[in-house]
Amino acid sequence: MDALSDNSLMLKVKAGNLDLMGLLFERYHKPLFGFLYHTTGQVAHSEDLVQTVFYRMLKYRHTFSGEGEFRTWMYHLARNVVIDAHRKNSKTSYQSDMASVMENMGVSPDAEAKIEREQQKEMLQRALQLLSIEHREVLVLSRFQELSYKEIAEILKTSEGNIKIKVHRAMKELKEIFLKISE
Amino acid sequence: MKEEFDEIEKDLWSKLGALKTPEPKEEAKMRFNAMLYNFKQEDEAKKAGFLRVLWEKIEPLVTLKSSHSWAFVVILVVLSGTMGYFFGKPGKEMAGNQAEIKRLSGEMQDMKQMMMLSMLENPMATERLKAVSYTEELNTVDDQVIDALLTTLNFDQNENVRLVTLEALVKLADNPKVREGLVQSLLTQESPLMQVALADAMVKLQEKRAVKQFKKMLRKHDLNDAVKGKIEKTIIILS
Repeated sequence: MDALSDNSLMLKVKAGNLDLMGLLFERYHKPLFGFLYHTTGQVAHSEDLVQTVFYRMLKYRHTFSGEGEFRTWMYHLARNVVIDAHRKNSKTSYQSDMASVMENMGVSPDAEAKIEREQQKEMLQRALQLLSIEHREVLVLSRFQELSYKEIAEILKTSEGNIKIKVHRAMKELKEIFLKISE
Repeated sequence: MKEEFDEIEKDLWSKLGALKTPEPKEEAKMRFNAMLYNFKQEDEAKKAGFLRVLWEKIEPLVTLKSSHSWAFVVILVVLSGTMGYFFGKPGKEMAGNQAEIKRLSGEMQDMKQMMMLSMLENPMATERLKAVSYTEELNTVDDQVIDALLTTLNFDQNENVRLVTLEALVKLADNPKVREGLVQSLLTQESPLMQVALADAMVKLQEKRAVKQFKKMLRKHDLNDAVKGKIEKTIIILS
């Protein structure tokens, strides 16, 4: 095994070299933040959750067997963190970061088209947040994190076939919500 | 799979890919380092504590004569049973949960303090300003934090940072070390704005020990005229 591979580093962390978690943080905190952001829709909350996921990886390092991929294990923990946070604060809802939308809307000859595009993105983001959590997570893992169905199946402890069905249903639900919002 | 999507779904799938993901803040790494440092300290303390307790229990036993070896076996069985009970079923007991919450809350405090101290050394003034504002989130402020704030008050190059630090320290003025530090700072400050702000703080805290320092300040040749007037008034108020 490559000494610097994710699995090798995590096994060393498990063996007691906790500093090596720093390297894994460098590699994964951005993708992990992306997963959390698209799942929760909240920037600051996602930043806190990134820290929680890394804390849990340290705390539960003994559960990493090295048989599966590190990132599969990481997303599995991240998913549990999201579920726990969701349970703790069921009132948490998607709050769009309008600042970032407005930022991309400078005045220009094609400003109108640009605004429309941004509005579409905004609506899609809202639709994504209105999806059931089980559909949202498969879409985020598949589309944003670009994980294979096999990897997602490992994270969610289910079969690859089941994930295919879930993604398909998630897209149907997303379409329905998006069309409703667009009306 | 995607070929099973209808046209609208295909379009949405493509648009999903174009949704932007914001960048996490730069301080994420610093927060992680603080958390890791804290975790390591906790981990080492736990290991050291556990091994010490275990050795204290075992030491008298390993020196037992062979005729008493049955006692050794019995005690080991009881000890392993107890360990299994406490370590094998995490989160089962309510009391255990409360202790865990208390411990985590303590960890959070330590983490905030560590983050605040490291941010005070950041070359960017905005980060140092944030660090000072974090003191309000600390439940308890120890000598290390007070020393760091007093150093910032006296030596930070940025006047805004020094002013915000002064405000933070005034809120902590119940602590004698803070009051003493504020009084001593009067002779260190050279900026008129800071000198006036400190004079106001002394009035607010009714700190009469400052009068002596103010009189020393009045002997300075390069003292700003406006500041001089302010100090004279302050001396009258405090006397």
